[in-house]
Amino acid sequence: MLTNLKEVIFFTVNTGLDLESSFNNLLQGLGLSSEVSHILWLPLPMLLVLTSALIGVLVTVWLERKISAAAQQRIGPEYAGSLGILQPIADGLKLLVKEDVIPTKADSLLFSLGPVLVLIPVILSWLIVPFGQNLIISNVGIGIFLWIALSSIQPIGLLMSGYASNNKYSLLGGLRAAAQSISYEIPLALSVLAIVMMSNSLSTVDIVNQQNGVGFLSWNIWRQPVGFLIFWICALAECERLPFDLPEAEEELVAGYQTEYAGMKFALFYLGSYINLVLSALLVSILYLGGWGFPIPVEWIAQFLGQNIDAPLVQVFTASIGIAMTILKTYLLVFLAILLRWTTPRVRIDQLLDLGWKFLLPISLVNLLFTAALKLAFPLAFGG
Amino acid sequence: MNIASSAQQICFVILGSVVILGALGVVLLNNIVYSAFLLGGVFMGVAGLYLLLNASFVAAAQILVYVGAVNVLILFAIMLVNKKEKLKEIQGLKVRKFLSGLVCTGLLLLLLRVDFTTQWISPGPEAIGEMATERIGEHLFTDYLLPFEVASVLLLMAMIGAIVLARRDVLTSDVGTGDSVDQNLIEKSNEPILLDQSTK
Amino acid sequence: MTSFFKQIADYTQQAISAGQYLLKGLAVTFDHMGRRPITVQYPYEKLIPSERYRGRIHYEFDKCIACEVCVRVCPINLPVVDWVMNKETKKKELRNYSIDFGVCIFCGNCVEYCPTNCLSMTEEYELAAFDRHSLNYDNVALGRLPTSVTTDPSIKPLRELGYLPKGVMDPHEIPDNNPRAGNLPSQVLELMKKEAISKDNSLSNEEGKGGQSK
Repeated sequence: MLTNLKEVIFFTVNTGLDLESSFNNLLQGLGLSSEVSHILWLPLPMLLVLTSALIGVLVTVWLERKISAAAQQRIGPEYAGSLGILQPIADGLKLLVKEDVIPTKADSLLFSLGPVLVLIPVILSWLIVPFGQNLIISNVGIGIFLWIALSSIQPIGLLMSGYASNNKYSLLGGLRAAAQSISYEIPLALSVLAIVMMSNSLSTVDIVNQQNGVGFLSWNIWRQPVGFLIFWICALAECERLPFDLPEAEEELVAGYQTEYAGMKFALFYLGSYINLVLSALLVSILYLGGWGFPIPVEWIAQFLGQNIDAPLVQVFTASIGIAMTILKTYLLVFLAILLRWTTPRVRIDQLLDLGWKFLLPISLVNLLFTAALKLAFPLAFGG
Repeated sequence: MNIASSAQQICFVILGSVVILGALGVVLLNNIVYSAFLLGGVFMGVAGLYLLLNASFVAAAQILVYVGAVNVLILFAIMLVNKKEKLKEIQGLKVRKFLSGLVCTGLLLLLLRVDFTTQWISPGPEAIGEMATERIGEHLFTDYLLPFEVASVLLLMAMIGAIVLARRDVLTSDVGTGDSVDQNLIEKSNEPILLDQSTK
Repeated sequence: MTSFFKQIADYTQQAISAGQYLLKGLAVTFDHMGRRPITVQYPYEKLIPSERYRGRIHYEFDKCIACEVCVRVCPINLPVVDWVMNKETKKKELRNYSIDFGVCIFCGNCVEYCPTNCLSMTEEYELAAFDRHSLNYDNVALGRLPTSVTTDPSIKPLRELGYLPKGVMDPHEIPDNNPRAGNLPSQVLELMKKEAISKDNSLSNEEGKGGQSK
């Protein structure tokens, strides 16, 4: 038994922290068949996605409240836990036990289905987020394309909830949300396409690997500064963050498509928007900021310190550095989003569509063509 | 029969029934909004079938194009034009129903015939899985280049047509009163709010 | 063709300057994050109202001569003065006096014009009630003095921004004996007097000198 475990650990580190195969090996070592161990493995990544997304949201909500307070010279949540760190949990519990109201004249089936359709694609998109070479739920070949496809389901949920609420503000909010996400998806996809062209792969792992040649100098942000800006603007618009929060503009539309929602259904929307924010920040850090890569390649550091990069302990160490770097970059971007929230005023709907169609779309097209030209001219620097 | 293949079978049955029932719902339901949402469900079911066939790129493209663009646009149109209008009596409804039923049954019979007479190779060609993206790209830019370009020209034509249709005609005089119309109200000039400071 | 390129150049310049404005705005927001919070944690902490704070009105029944000046100067004739004429003494006998603080706008006109100074402003501002009629204070309620913020042991009194020493923004860690920036009105008066005296002296000195030189 012990030798088994040792073997498993040895096997794990030798393949670069592959959790699935190590788990399967462990269970098979305990005398279970490979199929049973596979079935036992299946729910684990799902649980992992849910918990990591939830914890990410809790942290983001707390950060949002605290940073907002700091930007306005307030204190922010203070009494729930030290520094108010338990406040998001308290908020969540409150929403959990609140009465679930369905308006009498609402379409109850679509009304309940709407928030679900908004939340599920966002959580599913976490499948493609890598925290390390093998620390990814499923390294599907279409990687980043899956995210773009999944995020296009969201507007249907928004339209559904806006329509089913039987409320003009909800309907307007839903329509605005759908219009916004359709028009910003195109520049978003085009800027992603430029990245994909450089790394010759849709897989997020390959995209990160392609960036980690010489530390932070090889990050995509230096090769795609315009693409980075376009992606970030579009990501903010897709998340309905200020300055693009027209669908839930509280001064004009009460709360947009969320107006009639209360309790857990409202919490689903809330969760969805924050998971989406964290996910967008994660993807920006993966596509443009080198993902799990340390500013100086860990291989160089290991060499400098005279350590073998394949040694088990070093492996564990580099993996944890990778996770820490991903999370750090992500939360820096979340911080930027919160800062932008308190800096920029909300745009009008015509300004929003103008920006999307007349500014970002042509520029992202030019950026794509330019990247293609650069790739042909300097295949070494721009991925041959 | 191992777990993987049985899971696949179950998935196929579920997806197939979703597609068939959804499609029936799209046609038979009276509420047009329900039909539109069900259409989205059908598209997603088809994407699921593609996934079962190991064609993940096609599945994602199906979701992106059909669910994300086509279906949302349909919903948009329905919700913006939500007029409750009494439909006019159609003359000879029964004959029309009979004729369209006839056409549909004919099509069904044709499909069934094709289905039963074709020698399906089982198992089919090996799925290329992750390589599919590259293969599709190769095909699009070599042997399917002409249809690809024709399709894009067609889409361009459709786009220009849509712009022409949607463009507001600027009227020089009011239709009712005959007074001249203040053009500024119709076509807003796009002047920047922040004036250029270098011209000062 | 050149105009087309000029248009493009202008557009680009505008886009860049818009980005610059955005960055400036971000810098302002970021700068604010470094500042101390100015939150006063009411009800545990309260600001000390200034000397001329116009809070709830205090009323001394015994001083009142029922002249009804307060009613006449009030914008909405709010104070209710309930008196009867005593035929024997030929004097007004005050029976009741009340002000409805649900309607009062705290303009202070009644206090200003009261001939016997029986009306005065207090620093009480916590007038929340479940029923608006309970805000109609009679002469007994009007005669009560509020607890001062500084004497309440359960409350931490904080000085307002104008009463802090020069350069201090945070009232939390300032000792009570630290004087405010600038002078009190009485001190200003004294200063002005002193200045006038010294001016007079110097003027007379100069005149004397001038006389001598002539």
